[in-house]
This record gives sequence, structure tokens and C-alpha cells, in this order.
Amino acid sequence: MSTLPILQLRAVGKSYGATRVLQGIDLDVMKGEIVSLIGPSGSGKTTVLRCMNFLEPYDEGEVWIKGQLLGYRSAGRTIRDRDSEKGLAEVRRPVSMVFQQFNLWPHMTVLGNVAAPLILSKNASKADARKHALAALTRVGLAAKVDAYPGRLSGGQQQRVGIARALAIEPEVMLLDEPTSALDPELVEEVLSVIRSLAQDGMTMVMVTHEMSFAAKISDTVVFMEAGRIVESGPPAQLFGNTGTPRLQQFLKPWFERSLSAPISLEGRVDTI
Amino acid sequence: MESLLSLAPRFGKAMLVTLALGLSSALLGALCGFVLNALRLRFTRWLSRPYRAYIWLVRGMPYLSQMVIVYFGLPVLGLTLSAVQATVVSLAFYSAAYFAEIFRAGWASIPPSQLDAARAFGIGRAAAFRTIELPQALVFSIPLLANQTILVIKESAVASIITVPELTMTASEVVSSTYTYIAPYAMLIVCYWLLTQFIALTARRVMKLIAPLEDA
Repeated sequence: MSTLPILQLRAVGKSYGATRVLQGIDLDVMKGEIVSLIGPSGSGKTTVLRCMNFLEPYDEGEVWIKGQLLGYRSAGRTIRDRDSEKGLAEVRRPVSMVFQQFNLWPHMTVLGNVAAPLILSKNASKADARKHALAALTRVGLAAKVDAYPGRLSGGQQQRVGIARALAIEPEVMLLDEPTSALDPELVEEVLSVIRSLAQDGMTMVMVTHEMSFAAKISDTVVFMEAGRIVESGPPAQLFGNTGTPRLQQFLKPWFERSLSAPISLEGRVDTI
Repeated sequence: MESLLSLAPRFGKAMLVTLALGLSSALLGALCGFVLNALRLRFTRWLSRPYRAYIWLVRGMPYLSQMVIVYFGLPVLGLTLSAVQATVVSLAFYSAAYFAEIFRAGWASIPPSQLDAARAFGIGRAAAFRTIELPQALVFSIPLLANQTILVIKESAVASIITVPELTMTASEVVSSTYTYIAPYAMLIVCYWLLTQFIALTARRVMKLIAPLEDA
């Protein structure tokens, strides 16, 4: 059992022109750990996540995946050479991703979507890819939809296809970018329950989310970000325990009020009956 | 009516010439346009300016002038083409600009998020081009490609000026030998209409075949 983090961010920073969107991000993700990134819109949560697989090139610091530097040929703070497409794909291999807007390929069937990465990037045979894809789709409860096109599915089903696609490549870390934010409220739960079951199986996950209650229950570590920096991070009890920094408390206030008022108002209603 | 029927064999033959001329020019133009767009996508940094210069130049000049340059200008440089060859070459060169822009639109129609997903799953640029972009961009492009092919067929009328025996040339010949206008031009209209209908219907059939989900 190695104690090397699967994913390691060291002083990661990024700028768009003169705007610094990330600054000094340090984060370790251990095997089996579930990390939730929370924070207000524009705080850089999604950008951090996208830097973790170089969809967004970071320009300061380092991202290490299983001890290999991601995206560049050498570490250090000066201008660095980008890694080749092949080298990047190799380092990124243990990481898969689930997108806010699902990002399925609409011209492929559900099965095609899940099998495509296996065939096109892992050089699996068609039969093998089919088998793996079917297993992943069964896992998310969509074995019956293999021949459907994504456009004919509900948002919740599409996101489960997205999760199956991310599962099929047998990742060691899954990055989830607001996996339920694009869904109708009544479809959120079917996706959350799939994520919950992945967590029970010990999948390592980094998740950007606005589902505070879910993050509080499922996470090992919660990271609160603002203005491109990590303000506070620790176990959920610490961050959601109403003892955090004033900024965190302010951010969580609406959630506290909602989660406190919901049962009370229910009781009130029961009383009046 | 009788005169129309007597003209039919002649126009039938000319129609085939126009069809062959138009289709081979359009095919060559579409191929060049496709390659142009693919190169522009792959080597954006070096090729986006030359690409735009080519589009700017070709779209800014009437086709007639381009045909004249190819037919009368190239022999000066030692390259002499027959009237048919000059028509196909110039029409392909001309239409390639429009075809390239059609493919550009086709590629632009694909949300970048789909390519994000491809990259996140390690699908290389070439594989993504072939399996994710190409099928969708082509389906998007088919109606526009058919439209452009129709324009190319009608533009080929300009070749009558350099005596290619296509439809318009044939109509002019009949006019100058018989001094009748109505019958040959009526015939001309019908023939072009048949050709364009043929292209439009073929495109619709192809569309139904490969993208039954899209509303045609």
C-alpha cells in the first residue's frame, strides 16, 4: 500500500491574460478519497477540476498524477515545454471525467458513447469494448437503453450514460464537474444515488458541487474556494459545522437556513393538522 | 410543342454535358474545399491567413474572370487546357472557396464541449476528427453541399462563352440558327430545372438514409 497521492496539486496557478483565476492551489487526493470542491460561482472550482486533467492548461505549479507530471515535460516555475498529445494522454489515462452538460456525442448510441473511448483510446477490440460498455451501463441501470440515442433520454439518464462512460475506462480517479447542476430537481436523486454507490465501492472522486447536503454526507474532504484560492479545507464536520471562517459561514448560511427550516416547518404543519 | 420535341435530342445531349461538367467540378471543388478546411483546422496558426486570402480573392471575383484567366491566361505560362478542362479546373477552383466555407460552418456547428470529452478520454485529434466531428459535420453540411452543387451547375453556363457544348451554348446555337427564342429558352429552363431537381432530391434521399432522425 503506497501512501503516494493519486492526484497531487502543488502551487497550481492560472491566468487568463491579466486575470488570475487560480493561485497557489495545493491539494492531495489519496486513493479512495472523496473530495468535494465548493464555493461561489467564479471561484475557480471548475477550473481547478479541469486543470486536473489538463483540459485547462495550468501555467504555474505542478499537477502530478500517480507521480507523473501532467501536461509539461519538466517541473519548475519557468516557461515549460508542453508534453506531446501522446504523453499527455498517457499521464491522464487513470483519470476520467463527468461533465456538467454531459458532453455526450449525440450521433452515437448510448452504447457507442460508452464504448468509443475504449476503442479509440484504449485500443480495445469492438467485442471487448462492447462487453465493458454494457457492464458499465448495467452498473448505472441503463442496460435497457444501449441502442437509444442520447437525445431521446432524460437529463438524468444522459448523465448516467456520462458516468458509465467515465466508469468503463476503469479509472483510478473520477472528476465530476457539477454532475447534477443541469438537471431538473426530480432527476437529481437518480444521479446522486449512482455517485453514492460508486463511493461505497471505494472509487476515488473529486467533485465540484452545489449539493451541500450531499457533499457533507459523502465527502472525506471538503475544499472551500473563493477568488481562485483555497480558503479552507478539511473533513465535512469541520467545514459544515458552523465553525469555519466568516466567509465560509456566509457562503453556507442559505444552506443552513434551508436545512434547518425544512424539518421545522414540516413539524409546524403537522401540529396544525 | 412540335419544335420543342424536335429540340429534345440535342438538349438531352447538352444536358448530359452540363451534368458531367457540373458534377465533376462540384466534386473536385468539394474535395478541395474539404481538404482546405481540414488543413486550416489542423494548422490554424499558419494557414488561417492564407485561407482567408483565398476566400476573399475567389469570392470577390466573378467566375467569368477566373475562367478567362485559366483558359486564356495559363497558356501564356505554357499550360494550355481544352475548353472543358479549363471549365472544370476554374469551376473547381472557384467553388472550392464556397465548399470550404460550408465545411467550416459544419465544423463550427459542433460544440467544443464534445471535443473536451474526447480529450478527457484520451481520444486523439485524428480519431476525434474522424469519428466525432466528421459524421456530424457532414450531416450538417449535406443540404448546403447540395445547394452549392446546384449553383455550380448553373454557373457552368458561363462555359458557353468558351464554346463548351453545354446547355446554354446549345440554346444560343439554336437561337442563332433558327431565330426563334421561345422554344430554345423554354427548353433551357426545363433542362436546368430537371438538373437542379435531380440534385435536390438526391440530397434529400441521402439525408433520409444517413440521418433518419433529423427532420428533412
